[in-house]
Amino acid sequence: MRILLDNFTKKFGTLTVIDQMDLEIHSGEMIALLGGSGCGKSTTLFSICGIHKINGGRILFGDKDVTNITSQERNVGVVFQSFALYPHMTVEQNIGFPLKLRKESASEVKRKVDEIAEMVHIEALIHRRPGELSGGQQQRVALARALVRRPDVLLLDEPLANLDATLRLEMRSEIRRIQQETGITAVLVTHDQVEAMSMCDRIAIMDAGKIVQISEPREMYNNPVSDFVAGFLGSPPIAFLQGRITDGIFVEPSTGTKMPVNADIAKRANGGEVRVGIRPEFFQPGAGAAIKGRVSFIESQGRETLYNVTLPDGNILRSIQGSQSSARIGDEVEWGVDSSQMLVFGRDGMRL
Amino acid sequence: MGNSNAEIAASGRVSAPDLRGGAPQLTRLQKIGNSRHLGLYLMAPAFLFVVLFFVAPVLLTGVFGFTNMSTATGISGGAYLANQSSMRALRDKHDFGELADQINRVVFTIDEAGLEAAAQAGASAATLKELNAKFFGQSFGKRRDVERAIKTLDNRPSSTRAIKAISKHFERSVFNIRFDSADDLLAALNKFGISLDPQQQAAVIDVTYTGWVFTTDNFKRMISLPDTRTTLYNTLFYVFTTLILFNVGFALVLAISTHYMDAAPAGFFRSVWLLPRITPPVLYVLMWKWLAWDTGFISAVLGPFGIAPKNWMLDSPTNAWTFIILINGMVGASMGMLIFASAIKAIPTSLFYASEVDGATRAQQIRHIILPQLRFPILFITSYQTLSLLTSFEFILLATEGGPGGSTEVWALSTYFKALNNYAGSLEYGYGAALALVLVVVGVAMSILYLKLFDFKTLTAPPKIE
Ligand SMILES: Nc1ncnc2c1ncn2[C@@H]1O[C@H](COP(=O)(O)OP(=O)(O)OP(=O)(O)O)[C@@H](O)[C@H]1O
Ligand SMILES: [Mg+2]
Repeated sequence: MRILLDNFTKKFGTLTVIDQMDLEIHSGEMIALLGGSGCGKSTTLFSICGIHKINGGRILFGDKDVTNITSQERNVGVVFQSFALYPHMTVEQNIGFPLKLRKESASEVKRKVDEIAEMVHIEALIHRRPGELSGGQQQRVALARALVRRPDVLLLDEPLANLDATLRLEMRSEIRRIQQETGITAVLVTHDQVEAMSMCDRIAIMDAGKIVQISEPREMYNNPVSDFVAGFLGSPPIAFLQGRITDGIFVEPSTGTKMPVNADIAKRANGGEVRVGIRPEFFQPGAGAAIKGRVSFIESQGRETLYNVTLPDGNILRSIQGSQSSARIGDEVEWGVDSSQMLVFGRDGMRL
Repeated sequence: MGNSNAEIAASGRVSAPDLRGGAPQLTRLQKIGNSRHLGLYLMAPAFLFVVLFFVAPVLLTGVFGFTNMSTATGISGGAYLANQSSMRALRDKHDFGELADQINRVVFTIDEAGLEAAAQAGASAATLKELNAKFFGQSFGKRRDVERAIKTLDNRPSSTRAIKAISKHFERSVFNIRFDSADDLLAALNKFGISLDPQQQAAVIDVTYTGWVFTTDNFKRMISLPDTRTTLYNTLFYVFTTLILFNVGFALVLAISTHYMDAAPAGFFRSVWLLPRITPPVLYVLMWKWLAWDTGFISAVLGPFGIAPKNWMLDSPTNAWTFIILINGMVGASMGMLIFASAIKAIPTSLFYASEVDGATRAQQIRHIILPQLRFPILFITSYQTLSLLTSFEFILLATEGGPGGSTEVWALSTYFKALNNYAGSLEYGYGAALALVLVVVGVAMSILYLKLFDFKTLTAPPKIE
């Protein structure tokens, strides 16, 4: 079911947390709300499910205006960051709770609970209490409870934040599998860009209560609208250099390295101060505009190695290379920047 | 720890030659410092107070409960006294009615003391001498018999009045005379011509002893008296009605309703409900009394509607109970409210959010989320308040004094009246202690039960935080 946030505003007292947000989530799509801590992701989520009453604008499910409908009647499933399982109920009772509240018959509840438990692979745990489950198992129970009454919308508030790295990886694909199996419209709140990129059809990146960009993950990575978005996506992160573009060439101030930019950008930025972003995969030995620096940090990530190269003025470029590379800390290197892949931002941080 | 002690010990030894007399002090200090019993030393004063103010009273209650101490017996030893009531007891309890009559009766005995007293009073020596010679040692059951005997004397006085005056000196009775020992009493009886077989002796000693004795009569009496049953029912009614309606029920209503309010009004309401608790009890009850007096608030308000003023509190047992339960409940609810409110606060907000999106209405939220989480606090308040309601009677004493007509007299109050304070002024310490003992036993039994219950519950309680 399509969700539409139309001019939606949320305030806590005098503090405006979300200011006139517009967001359309397509039916059957899984979208990520990605942003730093305190930017209003949970607030948006809680407004969609009706826990928070909104202060302005409308929320539509399909064509139905649900702005003034209570959360009890919105038919949304929510997975909370802390899972919020009822500690005094068994797994079975937890999952069956939404059905029980709807006064469905015991046999019906049992059938549906069994079905959903099978789907999230917790059939064997059904008689335990939440306190007797591991984090990942609790996660699955929370998911099952959110899904059991076939909600129109599934909302996930940092569902993986409390899990360890391996479990997180497993649950990522697990949640995505279930979302695709059920075809449910889902919103995933996260501050982990990897999670957002790997799980979702689209990402809405948020900053201070506003959506900065909505795109498919790859598109957003390749074409960020601002340096904020560029900085948020990518691991290891993009590196920025400050400088000027004159006659179609960006000159790195501390080394004087010349990096040509494409004509379109050159025209828009001519003579102006700019910020260029260079992703680690485009700063490699023996290609593009060679720039000198000293290796200041090396991090082996197994298959690949990350190098920080400090320029004379202290700016840092990052490079990610296959393990064949042999540079060591303190080495003077001269690697090349693929300036055609450089992202150029104006002084306001917006992409040129 | 062991190391540092060793160091101190070593330094103590080193410094000993320098500081004369310093070493032994240091070792004593170390001994205490090293001691595993240091805690016990520190606890000793508290332990002493516990013994003095808790254990001792309970033990004394236990002892007193098995005596017949009262104002009449005193709390030290007693004397042997034949009087109306002891003779009634002799008749009723031991079925020695005849003996009682006999002891009750005045006898006249011609004896040394009588002769001497008569001589002192100025009776003629010749008369007394002849009386001595003819009748010495004889007893007469009636005054007329003595007088007739005197009249038979050669040297008898001329006037009837003089005869009466002499006979008066030979009047003998144990009646209303306190004897320090049972033997004295028996000897006196014997002297007056009343000789007793061993069974009768035991009975007489039993009924005439005015001091206290050990007995289980208190408990027999407790069981047989219909008053006991009334008091018991009163107590059960009082404890459970107050508990269910207020200490738990109303406290829950307050805690849950303030939970759903905004912070400011919620805080205000909670403070309001704390007021009765922090008002001095005497003042607090006085305000209730003022409310109910025949010149008080209720009467004043109802007056214009043609309802005659009356004391609404003491008007009928129903009214009295209503007031008693309100007075106690208003105070009792605050504790439950605080405990329940903080327990509700401890429930993670996300549980409320989750239940909301799961479709729970407020009532369902209370039923399925809040109440299950309050199981432990409710159990705690129930047990704590049962005990405190069982033993507290101060509000009833201040408000109705158990009235009207004893209809609001609960066990603790009745104990107080029996043992420490009543209109008649005859205090039955023993019986009161026996009543109190019942409370102590019930209280201790319930405490043990609750402790067991709580321990068990805390061990098996599901984790409160996910
Ligand atoms: N109930 C509330 N009352 C007042 N302010 C609130 C409340 N809830 C959230 N806020 C504020 O609103 C802003 C957004 O909060 P929100 O919880 O939506 O952040 P978030 O993006 O989910 O952050 P995080 O990643 O840390 O969970 C924060 O500044 C927060 O302090
Ligand atoms: Mg959040």
